[in-house]
Amino acid sequence: MPDVDILIVGAGPAGCVAAAWAKRAAPELDVVVLERDRAVGTPVRCAEGVGDAGLREFANPEGAPWVARKISRVIFIAPNDSEVRVAERDVGWILDRTRFDAFLAAEAGGLGAAVLVGTEAAGMTPGPHGRWDVRVRSARGETTYRAKVVIGADGVEAMVGRWAGLETRVPARDMESCAQYVVRGIDFDPDAIYLQFGHDIAPGGYAWVFPKGVGIANVGLGLVALKSDGRNAREYLDAWLARRYPRGACAGYTVGGVIVHTTVTQTYTDGVLVAGDAAHMINPLSGGGIVNAMKAGRLAGCTAAAAIRAGDTSARRLAAYHHAWMELLGLDHLKYYRIKRALEDLDDEFFNALARTVNAIPQERRTLGRIFTHALVKHPQLIPVAARFFM
Amino acid sequence: MRRPRAAEVAVVNLAACDRCGLCLPLCPPEAIHLEFDDLVIDRGACTGCRKCVAPCPVGALAMVDA
Repeated sequence: MPDVDILIVGAGPAGCVAAAWAKRAAPELDVVVLERDRAVGTPVRCAEGVGDAGLREFANPEGAPWVARKISRVIFIAPNDSEVRVAERDVGWILDRTRFDAFLAAEAGGLGAAVLVGTEAAGMTPGPHGRWDVRVRSARGETTYRAKVVIGADGVEAMVGRWAGLETRVPARDMESCAQYVVRGIDFDPDAIYLQFGHDIAPGGYAWVFPKGVGIANVGLGLVALKSDGRNAREYLDAWLARRYPRGACAGYTVGGVIVHTTVTQTYTDGVLVAGDAAHMINPLSGGGIVNAMKAGRLAGCTAAAAIRAGDTSARRLAAYHHAWMELLGLDHLKYYRIKRALEDLDDEFFNALARTVNAIPQERRTLGRIFTHALVKHPQLIPVAARFFM
Repeated sequence: MRRPRAAEVAVVNLAACDRCGLCLPLCPPEAIHLEFDDLVIDRGACTGCRKCVAPCPVGALAMVDA
């Protein structure tokens, strides 16, 4: 039975960063990362957009081979197709997740962590001395790893949390069903991301165009099935594409779930931490989760390493991870979640009117802050939203 | 395989399923699992609540008489 210090399930951004930081914090530890898919970074279940500042905490995107496109503008599209261009100081990036995840995995590997692909965790049970025995399956057969700390970085399915007895289930209204194509041969501003709202377009969510290059983009949408008219996400996307980009050629197709909830109430237990999508650490307003996952992975890796060095991997010790995460982003997500719930009460006509109002602001002064302030003055029904945000 | 306890149970069309895992955290009795390349539904654990059906992005889940 292989005996390891830290066993990480999932080699996405959360898992790879957790492995790297555990090795940085305590190079003497044995750190193993399991990846079910045959290669890290595939299949891509992601729109691949990240903010500039968050990304730079982990890697320099300038000229990096894992970057697809630099983004300098956000264009909101109201339900009636009127566009609002927003000048943002904060630039973002569209990643090439296949290469980006491979880059993160290589970094973890370079620091001495072992990344095993085509290898899945199949279950785990408490072992002696506070260890966990994790059943691991691969083409070579089944074996059991004994680990001092298991980090669940296993995405939306979150099996590690479930096995450890953490509550990771999601209410239907907080699950976005997403579908996305890579579309070629379409005309758009390649320096901008586009977000369109509308009950008939993506009920409870939005549709997006995230450029991967000139004329090629991730085009997708996310919706809340409880609000749908009976069609699934792929059918909504096909309808939106047919209307907006009838001449686009669809290549790569992907689907997935984005949990737009708040962080799970407990992200730790004896010898276990959960991080990233598995812990519902997604911005519930934007649906963005890559940088959050990396930040959580860094906290989880450092916390686990320090706990093992101290000889105490109990829940009481690992609780420090949860508190650090809530301080860093978890409490913000509670606020964003309140905004999301408040926005759910607003109809298409509200967003059409907001677009008209905001377009009266000169474009160079049209920042998100100004839009918010303006919206409050012109649309008093937003005040309760703002009140809930600042509560 | 346990005997179903509900009148209707969820089934998956594996030809349509993309193995995205979205339905797993939606299942109240945690009856859905991913095993490498397949989605597996435990018919004995399924309560027939239908919460997994509409959210599937590709419509790969349906209810059948148990």
